[in-house]
Amino acid sequence: MNSILSRFSSTNALPANFDNEGGRQDFQDSINGAPAQFDLPGTEPARFLSQYTDVDSSNPAARIKLQHGTTTLAFRYKGGIIVCVDSRATAGSYIASGTVKKVIEINPYLLGTMAGGAADCQYWECRLHELRNKERISVAAASKYLSNIVYSYKGMGLSMGTMICGWDKTGPALFYVDSDGTRLKGDVFSVGSGSTFAYGVLDQGYHWDLTDAEAQELGRRSIYAATHRDAYSGNTINLYHVKEEGWEFIANYDAMNLHYDGPGDNVPGAPGGGYGWDVRTQGLSSKLEATEGQQTSGQGGRFADEQPLTASVQPPQA
Amino acid sequence: MSRRYDSRTTTFSPEGRLFQVEYAMEAISHAGTTVGILAKDGVVLAAEKKVTSKLLEQDQSSEKIFNLSDNIIAGVAGITADANSLVNYARNQAQKYLLAYDDDMPVEQLAQRLCDLKQGYTQYGGLRPFGVSILYAGFDDHHHFQLYHSDPSGNYSGWKATCIGNNNGTATSLLKQDYKDDIGIQEAMGLAAKVLSKTMDATSLDSEKLEFATITLDPRTKKPVGRVFKPNDIDRLLEKHGLAKPKDPEAAAAAATSAPAQGEAMAVDS
Amino acid sequence: MECSFGITGKGYTIIASDSNAARSIVKMKTDEDKQKVLSDHLVMTYSGESGDTLQFSEYIERNLRLYGIRNHVELRPRAAASWIRAQIADSLRTRNAYQVNLLLGGFDLPTSEPALYWVDYLGTLATVPFAAHGYGAFFALSTLDRYHRPDMSLEEGLDLLRRCINELKTRFIVDLGTFKVRVVDREGVREVKL
Repeated sequence: MNSILSRFSSTNALPANFDNEGGRQDFQDSINGAPAQFDLPGTEPARFLSQYTDVDSSNPAARIKLQHGTTTLAFRYKGGIIVCVDSRATAGSYIASGTVKKVIEINPYLLGTMAGGAADCQYWECRLHELRNKERISVAAASKYLSNIVYSYKGMGLSMGTMICGWDKTGPALFYVDSDGTRLKGDVFSVGSGSTFAYGVLDQGYHWDLTDAEAQELGRRSIYAATHRDAYSGNTINLYHVKEEGWEFIANYDAMNLHYDGPGDNVPGAPGGGYGWDVRTQGLSSKLEATEGQQTSGQGGRFADEQPLTASVQPPQA
Repeated sequence: MSRRYDSRTTTFSPEGRLFQVEYAMEAISHAGTTVGILAKDGVVLAAEKKVTSKLLEQDQSSEKIFNLSDNIIAGVAGITADANSLVNYARNQAQKYLLAYDDDMPVEQLAQRLCDLKQGYTQYGGLRPFGVSILYAGFDDHHHFQLYHSDPSGNYSGWKATCIGNNNGTATSLLKQDYKDDIGIQEAMGLAAKVLSKTMDATSLDSEKLEFATITLDPRTKKPVGRVFKPNDIDRLLEKHGLAKPKDPEAAAAAATSAPAQGEAMAVDS
Repeated sequence: MECSFGITGKGYTIIASDSNAARSIVKMKTDEDKQKVLSDHLVMTYSGESGDTLQFSEYIERNLRLYGIRNHVELRPRAAASWIRAQIADSLRTRNAYQVNLLLGGFDLPTSEPALYWVDYLGTLATVPFAAHGYGAFFALSTLDRYHRPDMSLEEGLDLLRRCINELKTRFIVDLGTFKVRVVDREGVREVKL
């Protein structure tokens, strides 16, 4: 920038600024009325640049990070694994996208979910494609492989939380892997900013012997609950079912439609009607019906038995 | 010195009286009459307007009956200027209560608040007391419809029916005679008009000399509505009860026969 | 780590709060009653900055009592909630604001309706069918969204509260111990064992 400046500078002071012996000469020049040097930001140039880089920039290294808020869940039951995710991507308080695919179809038997920095998630997706070349890998091995990869990047700013779901020789298998290097085998997981809300519905409705219809309904309702309470989760919901024959994409639901109308007619497991509290409880009241001879005045009850001042005699002036 | 005990409000006479306060009350009993009647489904206030001169421009807005808040109306008797000041204070207090509690001010509390102010002038500083008595008619969820009266001393009391101002003795005995515990608002309006017709000097009544107001419950919302009558409404009310001034002998005869039929459709029935 | 719940049902309001008094990482007491019975038909749970909670709740308690003595009637739940909210909002503009979060559970006699108000330290007041303060809100609000109905019987209401506490037991890293539970209905306030 300073080279550009020198070209348009009316004085010839600039080269002198870089002279070591004339240490304070730039100061002298600015007093003479000619600006000698632009102020540069106090941070490293790379960070300064990324701050001002466009979202649509073609340079992948400068893309703005997205998707800090998310809700994803997966649970194992007798009929396989249910995977359900929302589709919102946020950048700060701005909803950057409402149609993000947060389930990665690794191969016909393996699914991965993503939560965390979107760019980070997409990065390891590429690496996972390599798995295709080998014979069907076990879920345990695939998740271990991923865990090792992300662990090797530990401390470099990678951020993700994922669930690897699949059906292998051992039956349905579910692993949680995150960028810290944690890898957990389990039955019920939910990841993301809305996970506590999803757990609140999921835990209370979960048991091993769910039917397929019940399990799918539980997944939908749990993610719906998170989209309702968590501002960083929402838009649409993607539902997958992992079975012995491989995974199956069930449907995409608009969270707002689920609130007001439910998942639609003849959806197995759904009771019909909207999921929203206000929709579900329309017309119900907590008001107590009046009983015979009920005293409603005299608020608070403590002094209800006292005579109100209205019952009095005639004026003393009379 | 004969003026020893009445030049200051704060000095008791040897008999234990506060003369200034008593004089204030005396002033009120020369003012136009104001009647209040508590009915089972509302409260009526009616007041006599003193017409001082033919040349005086008749005010469209009322001068003795006021809306204090959504649930309380008031009728005053005494010095109008003092009354305006108190009404302003009362409205202020009612809104303050609404702001703090998000609820209509209970009627008794508003009466109490004004009495606190009035009482102050019987005790502090060389000022004269307010020369005003007030009738408060209102509704709240604690005690439903209520009618209160406060005087310059800062006393207040609740009533089924009461009267302040000129001739209040006559009015009160009339009320005693005709008041029934299960009186309805329509009946109460008639009774108020009748009482005023007896206490006022004029032989006949019209909207120029009267003010009327009711507080009732809106049948749909169950919320109290205070309504200060327009001159037209007052005239129709008087006609209904046969107390109106005959326009001319023929018309009077016609009115007497057709009044009940008209009455059914009248606005005052609401 | 404090947590409180409120649930309304057919003709009643349930109010529950954990009973821990903690300082730093230490539990000082496990049977602390963090509720105040403000009148025959009004209870309040309080949580937040220690010291502020006690001072504020006692200030509220005494003032509502004063109102009752002065006016021969108790404030209705709605009026009490509005006044309490105003106290927090006024205090917020001072140098040392009360940092107190409240739930107000009551029963309004004139309308025969249960009442529940959610109030936070910023002076926000919300009328709600169910409520939670603290970390419990993150876990149990979705549970409440899913299972609550305004016309629940008292036993159903208590079952729902048990569900919420069960969810905290399974997912929340901290064990909050036993909850103090009170019910307000037309008959008044009473304590209930879960």
